[in-house]
Amino acid sequence: MIQIKNLSHHFELGKKGRKTILPVLKDINMEVRRGEIVSVVGKSGSGKSTLLNLISGFIRPTEGEIWMEGQIVSDLSEAKFADFRLKHIGFIFQSFQLIPSMTAYQNIELPLILKGEEEKKRKEIVVRMMENVGLRDFQDHYPSELSGGQQQRVSIARALVLEPTLILADEPTGSLDSETESEILEIIQKLNQELGITFLIITHDEEVAQIGDRTISIRDGRIMEGANAV
Amino acid sequence: MRLKDRYRFIRQNIKKNRARTFMTILATAMGCAFLIVLASVGYGLQQSVVKETLEDQVVTEVQVYGKESAEGYDSITVADIDKLEKLDHVKAVTRRTQLRQMPIYTLDEYKSEAMAVSAHYPSEIASGLELSDGRLPEKANEVVVGYHFSDTLVIDSEDVVYDEETGYPEEEFRYKGELIGQTILMTVKQDEEGNVTEEIPLTVVGIIEKPGREWMQDRDVYISQEVFKQIETFTGTAGGGIVYDSEEIETGHLQVFDQVNVYADNLEEVQGIVDTLNEEKYATYSVVSEMKQINTLFTIAKAGLILVGTIALIIASIGIYNTMTMAVTERAPDIGIMKAIGANPKTIKQIFLLESTYIGIIGAIIGTIVAYATSVVVNIGLPMILEIAFEEEMPEGLQFSSIPLSLVLIAVAICLIVTILSGMRPAKRATQIDVLKAMRREI
Ligand SMILES: Nc1ncnc2c1ncn2[C@@H]1O[C@H](COP(=O)(O)OP(=O)(O)O)[C@@H](O)[C@H]1O
Ligand SMILES: [Mg+2]
Repeated sequence: MIQIKNLSHHFELGKKGRKTILPVLKDINMEVRRGEIVSVVGKSGSGKSTLLNLISGFIRPTEGEIWMEGQIVSDLSEAKFADFRLKHIGFIFQSFQLIPSMTAYQNIELPLILKGEEEKKRKEIVVRMMENVGLRDFQDHYPSELSGGQQQRVSIARALVLEPTLILADEPTGSLDSETESEILEIIQKLNQELGITFLIITHDEEVAQIGDRTISIRDGRIMEGANAV
Repeated sequence: MRLKDRYRFIRQNIKKNRARTFMTILATAMGCAFLIVLASVGYGLQQSVVKETLEDQVVTEVQVYGKESAEGYDSITVADIDKLEKLDHVKAVTRRTQLRQMPIYTLDEYKSEAMAVSAHYPSEIASGLELSDGRLPEKANEVVVGYHFSDTLVIDSEDVVYDEETGYPEEEFRYKGELIGQTILMTVKQDEEGNVTEEIPLTVVGIIEKPGREWMQDRDVYISQEVFKQIETFTGTAGGGIVYDSEEIETGHLQVFDQVNVYADNLEEVQGIVDTLNEEKYATYSVVSEMKQINTLFTIAKAGLILVGTIALIIASIGIYNTMTMAVTERAPDIGIMKAIGANPKTIKQIFLLESTYIGIIGAIIGTIVAYATSVVVNIGLPMILEIAFEEEMPEGLQFSSIPLSLVLIAVAICLIVTILSGMRPAKRATQIDVLKAMRREI
């Protein structure tokens, strides 16, 4: 599903003349197989989000390659990567990233609109998804009118409407209380088992890491792969 | 992304900031209306001038003044007439010659001084000369007179009162009876003092139609060539002039014409005839040529006005640029989210371009409507204001402003180009928004 080869990344800080280089990821090699739930753990600032952003195509690596669906994606153009994301990847963010001026329904519908799906089919899919995540009665609610857990369920539904094979999640339960966290984790496990969707989840939460088939631990920008340990 | 969905997106975005969008549309509409109204004055005045110039004019007429020669211009001779008549598409060549003195005409107690003109009737008829009354002369001593000739027939007395403004004798002293069938006595002089005169009786058989323009006066008496020659014989001068200096007299019959008009078969051929004549070094005037010059002049003027109007639109486009830049900044988090889940930068650019185009289109529509309304008001109001301000009657049917479809199309095109161009940079900026920064709400 995902292969990462000799991936390194550094940020350049400061203005011209007094530039400093901040190395974040160093020579990462890893693989995520189809149907797996892989969790990435590590201390804050260890480079977990940077890794995910590289896989997502939000930033480009300074060195190394990322392969997905049998092709190198790390050197795709911005537009091509956007199309790739729309087609293959679903996203769940810590802060939900819903569009505040759109209702739950409209937020979930957005990827379908971007894809150019026709209205009738869109409605069918969105309604089904809302039922799946238990939000049937909230379709006309704006994000500000929903609880954190409900908002995260909206964003999960949005990630699912185009039937991705991979979902990338950066601290999906980071803003939720432990009870809601369990609900969301249940949904993730269900999706993995029933639809075979691959998950790459970043977390620093033990409970979250435990649903993973495998845990990758990052320390100082390097991978310390171990057993199911944090 | 479907066009319908894009449109819905724009509608939603506009709704979020109605007041700002409205003001921007208003500015665009005003710029567009300003452009149209400004240029419409060029179009309107052109129409008025063209109409005024063409009014009752014989458009197929080419006036020939003379022929260029080494020392200025030569008058048109019989040989020239022959040549002119042989040109292609020439229907008629009229030629008139003025008597070189002003005869006096008497009818009962009325007296008149008016020019005598000898005309070539066959060509006059071919050119379309119309009479308002009577018929054309058939005999040598028969004449037709100009439409205003009767106004010059005034009682021969000291008491005649003249109008202060026009200098014409007052109505009550003028001849009011029927002219046709009357015999008027033409008196021509041989010398300045009038010691030797000759009286020639002429019978009025017809009156020529009223001249095309209100201000034109036709007071001439159209005598036959025979009478003309008779006078020339009497005075002993070519042209029938009075002898001042016996050293310099030209004798015999006058061989040149004063007023030569060439008539074309139809309007399309006029310019061709004019060009041929000009090549042959004839000095000409024709309405068609003048129209060409007028139109060229107005085309330049209209282009200038449109250019000035475009500046107004460019100013309005600064507003569009500002509005779109603010819209992009405000929506940066949304754009970031959309890009994150896979919106193509091209789609985002198109949405914003469509939004500025939308403002442009609505602005252009409103601007056009306002321009039409303004044009109507200007056409009604301006003549009234000018009449009050300058206490002068404006010519009937004078049009200040006219908006042809072509002007609307030009204005709308300029408006759209300007708005799309001004929306370009903000739209590009939208595509360059950094996903991560936008999601962290850092923009
Ligand atoms: N855009 C950026 N520019 C500069 N430094 C960054 C940027 N993003 C992240 N970093 C730095 O990279 C390191 C790793 O950050 P991050 O990947 O967010 O860690 P984590 O998600 O594991 O907490 C941190 O030291 C952070 O300050
Ligand atoms: Mg992080």
